Amino acid sequence: MLPRLLVSVAGIFVATVLAADVAYVTCQNGNVLSVIDLETGDQQRWPLPGQPAGIAVSGSGIFVVSPETKEVRRLDPRSGTELARVRLNGGPNGVTVDQMRQRVFVSDWYNARIWVLRAEDLSVIGELETGAAPAGLALSPDGRYLASADRDADQVSIFDAETFAFVARHAVGTRPFGLAFSQDGRLFVGNVGSDDMSVLEPLQGLLTTVAVGARPYAVTFAADRVFVSNQYEDSVSVLNLNTLETITKIDVGEYPEGLDVTPDGASVLVANWFDNTVSRIDVSALKVVAQWETGDGPRAFGAFILAD
Amino acid sequence: MKRRSILIATLVAAALPGLALAHGPTRQKVTLSTEVAAEPGEVWAVIGNFQDMSWHPAAFATTGKGGNEIDATRVITLGSADGPTISEVLYKFSDEKMSYSYRITEVEVDVLPVTNYSSHLTVKPREGGGALVEWRGAFYRGYPNNDPPEHLNDAASIAAVSGVYQAGLDALVERFGAPGS
Repeated sequence: MLPRLLVSVAGIFVATVLAADVAYVTCQNGNVLSVIDLETGDQQRWPLPGQPAGIAVSGSGIFVVSPETKEVRRLDPRSGTELARVRLNGGPNGVTVDQMRQRVFVSDWYNARIWVLRAEDLSVIGELETGAAPAGLALSPDGRYLASADRDADQVSIFDAETFAFVARHAVGTRPFGLAFSQDGRLFVGNVGSDDMSVLEPLQGLLTTVAVGARPYAVTFAADRVFVSNQYEDSVSVLNLNTLETITKIDVGEYPEGLDVTPDGASVLVANWFDNTVSRIDVSALKVVAQWETGDGPRAFGAFILAD
Repeated sequence: MKRRSILIATLVAAALPGLALAHGPTRQKVTLSTEVAAEPGEVWAVIGNFQDMSWHPAAFATTGKGGNEIDATRVITLGSADGPTISEVLYKFSDEKMSYSYRITEVEVDVLPVTNYSSHLTVKPREGGGALVEWRGAFYRGYPNNDPPEHLNDAASIAAVSGVYQAGLDALVERFGAPGS
């Protein structure tokens, strides 16, 4: 791997080596993006104003949401250079990228809608109506559906990601926040108010509800297992993807939030908001094998690991 | 003036059903600690009872049920018999770790300008003798919607929680003495 020159958004030049996969961790209280090389553990901290939380990484850029200043940015994955920025009048919150159609979706926490942006320049090209307080957003693996967790409506909204047509809304548990589609197309939703996870089929609705830990926040998948961060329990629940039985709970740092899986499926990373750390969970051993310090208040709410 | 803006905030929230459950965009955190001369066990004996906040100078009375079991509740009356109250629930408790964790279930934002508040109180041994008391909180500002008034913004919530913690920790130093003093 070649050393690459990183340029922070403040314009400070820093030489580093970015080999392999990289985690981009939004640190809300510290106003930085912790950029961690997952092979070497080397870390850069890019200044990122506006108390960033939501993130979605893709080959076309790192999309970050700063709710305090109501801004969405697209950053160059390697240099951190700001490639585009938009100010959205409302409460920009969760974000996801439609890589295929080069669109970005951003939820509006305060106005029950989703903005549709062009990935290239972040110009607004549409708005979708959701239930109250939409938080997490997810695209189905086939690119067909966009789902939002409408926290204060206790429901998810499903849209056609191509046409933006409304498809369905389905009741879930109490105060859904994070959600993700599994590879088989099911939708998994963490309900922070009822300490459980709703499992849905996007058209038919609720399939089942399973108990997880206290205040489940985000969901990801690896090796036929479901990983759920439990904010009030300092743990990650691990469930069998097929039987939905709990296999174990792994102790992580305090107030775990954003979860994502490495491209090889071997590790799951979780951001520990209170501790200012990221824990690396080995998917085979089901235990924490590494931990990195981050900036203050890591959220990493969204897809935050980019393949080399 | 302050009262009026609270009233306006309340009216706005009432006029927008569905927003009442929302919270600010950025969760805040406060960690304060202090060191005292007494050993951890002695300090825990005083502060490690969820049903008794009498060690805190702002607490007039504590009533509750469930002891130190998970889901135990307490209502703290502040200042005087007819003072405002804070209702809380216990969600973690360990005599062994000398730590407990609780959440606020009900408080008026003009009493404590926070929402979605959770907190931990922990006693640890101090290097060289004595105890370290740590109080940590995670919460959102008092105003759940966009563009908060100044007295319900993020800074106001941090200042208010810090004030509560500092008053409690200062009282412990007064009670047990500073280490080495």
